Amino acid sequence: MSASTADILLGIDTEFGIADDEPDIRGRTPMRLAWARLRRDKVSMAALGFVIFICLVGVFAPVLTWLIGHGPNTEYPNIGLTIFGHPVPPSRTFLLGTDDLGRDVLSRLIYGARVSLEVGVGATVLATVLGVAAGLISGYYGGMLDAFIARFMDILLAFPILLFALALVARFGPSLTLILLVIAFFEWPLIGRLVRGQVIALREREFVEAARAAGSSNLRIMFVDITPNLIALAVVYATLLIPVNIVLEATLSYLGLGIQPPTASWGNMIAEAQNGDLYTIAWWMLVFPCVALFLTTLAFNLLGDGLRDALDPRHGRSNLLGGKTR
Amino acid sequence: MILTFLFRRIVYLVLVVLLITLATFVTFFAGSAGSLAARFAGKQAGPAAIKNAEIRLGLIHGFWYQYWHYLVDLAHGSFGLDFQNQEPVMREISRAFPVTASLVVGAAILWLIIGISIGIMSATHPRTVRDRAGTLFALTFLSMPLFVLGVLLLLVLFYYLTEAGLHWFPAAGYVPLTQSPVQWAVHLILPWFTLALAQAAVYTRLIRSSLLDTLGEDYIRTARAKGLSRRTVIYKHGVRAALTPIITQLGIDVGTLLAGAIVTERVFGLTGLGELSLDALFNGDLPVVAAVVLLAAVFIVFMNTVVDVVYALLDPRVRIS
Repeated sequence: MSASTADILLGIDTEFGIADDEPDIRGRTPMRLAWARLRRDKVSMAALGFVIFICLVGVFAPVLTWLIGHGPNTEYPNIGLTIFGHPVPPSRTFLLGTDDLGRDVLSRLIYGARVSLEVGVGATVLATVLGVAAGLISGYYGGMLDAFIARFMDILLAFPILLFALALVARFGPSLTLILLVIAFFEWPLIGRLVRGQVIALREREFVEAARAAGSSNLRIMFVDITPNLIALAVVYATLLIPVNIVLEATLSYLGLGIQPPTASWGNMIAEAQNGDLYTIAWWMLVFPCVALFLTTLAFNLLGDGLRDALDPRHGRSNLLGGKTR
Repeated sequence: MILTFLFRRIVYLVLVVLLITLATFVTFFAGSAGSLAARFAGKQAGPAAIKNAEIRLGLIHGFWYQYWHYLVDLAHGSFGLDFQNQEPVMREISRAFPVTASLVVGAAILWLIIGISIGIMSATHPRTVRDRAGTLFALTFLSMPLFVLGVLLLLVLFYYLTEAGLHWFPAAGYVPLTQSPVQWAVHLILPWFTLALAQAAVYTRLIRSSLLDTLGEDYIRTARAKGLSRRTVIYKHGVRAALTPIITQLGIDVGTLLAGAIVTERVFGLTGLGELSLDALFNGDLPVVAAVVLLAAVFIVFMNTVVDVVYALLDPRVRIS
């Protein structure tokens, strides 16, 4: 017997299969398909590369500054300032120059990346988890509960977010945790609304009906059957929220109501450079944080766009949303 | 019909005003009134002076009393006195509003021109170099935080030009339109472009996708088939229909920004509503903050109403309801 039973059952032409060195019959999950599509997109891959790079910089900030030999808040009044007390331009010792207190701009940039990512990613994860949970409950149960949650989300979205974030921070004193919580509080409805719409469409589908017929509980249907279908949507919009939140944190810090000096943040570094028109004698104090901020938001935006194209949660190729199709 | 529409809008507006003022009051009163009074009692104030300030600022009353008092004042068209100088908040707002209005209206005209023309260019030449250039423009300014764009413009167009002997753009300040229209415009060019470029990015994307959709419609093909030129079809039939989503966006944006383009005003030292509210936030000056937040909400609701009416005027199929 040359062909195995399994081969026959699967309808595989064994002769052809043997002749071919690499029969491409591996199962491809929707996620793997999306990844294959993303990998062909050069711009997205470059963006992904930069995002990974900036994350590594943030995570290994202490190691990097140790390698450079200058702490982010260490002042070098002798070598870090000119004899007139001005910042030192980029040089061998200070690769990106120093600021008005003689601190290493590069070390501060590295720690700034850490703050940006903590707030950017932290607030996004929190907002996404809250948004998915609220959208799931609201969309799945419907009725009064849904009406209440949906109305509440609409009201929150109507608030002038920057003004209220500023008011809250001014009232309770700036801290990283508070900034993170405030941003997440005003942003979860963005995700929540999208998820709710998706869940309302999903709960009428046959696989949910089948699960219910098989005796699954509501919780099981919500988490085992519906949630996997929301992952693509959540990932795309979370990726697009990260740059928004990084910019929000930087803006708050720039306005003086975010991360407080001496802790470095890209926003407050730019504010320091503009303070007393310092940038007119030390362009590096202004330009480098600007470039870091721009490249990071650009990379996240490009990656988000690429992911959306790869996962395409909107444009009806429902087989990519996982679950049943063929 | 128009009357019921207006009535419903007014009811909605009152609801929003109540909610927003309440939220502002709660935000500020979550701390104690005593610490707020201590700030305005002057340096090294004794307990008596603090008590005095508390009475003067009306902080001695309970939360609901103060809130009620505020609403009554509001009904009489007054925002009360500020904590800092005991000056009518209304006066400060009317001083700051022209600055913000000049900034926002000028920028809005600019961003419409830039956004619409680049968007049309992109949509009429899809998947060409021009389209990619348009996309690149949009992505660049979408990813650039407003204050980064502002300070970079300052560095290049103000500082480097001034150093090169070209005093084209001043760095900061505001000159009233009535005083000197030329100086007014010159002082506002950089802020206008900062705000406009950031906004134009959004509009470019909107116009591009909306126009691409419209140009795929059957009636566009019909118009071409009956022999109209490409130009006439794009501009008379296509763009006109594609503009509707822009109007919604414009209404929201102008409404939001009128309450203070906080970041732009800070970068260029313009003393508009944004700067006023920022100062008030730093000082804990509750009446000023409440007034600005309230204005923001009112502007947004007002602009939404205007948008609905304009919609009905532009598109006969839309009925006001």
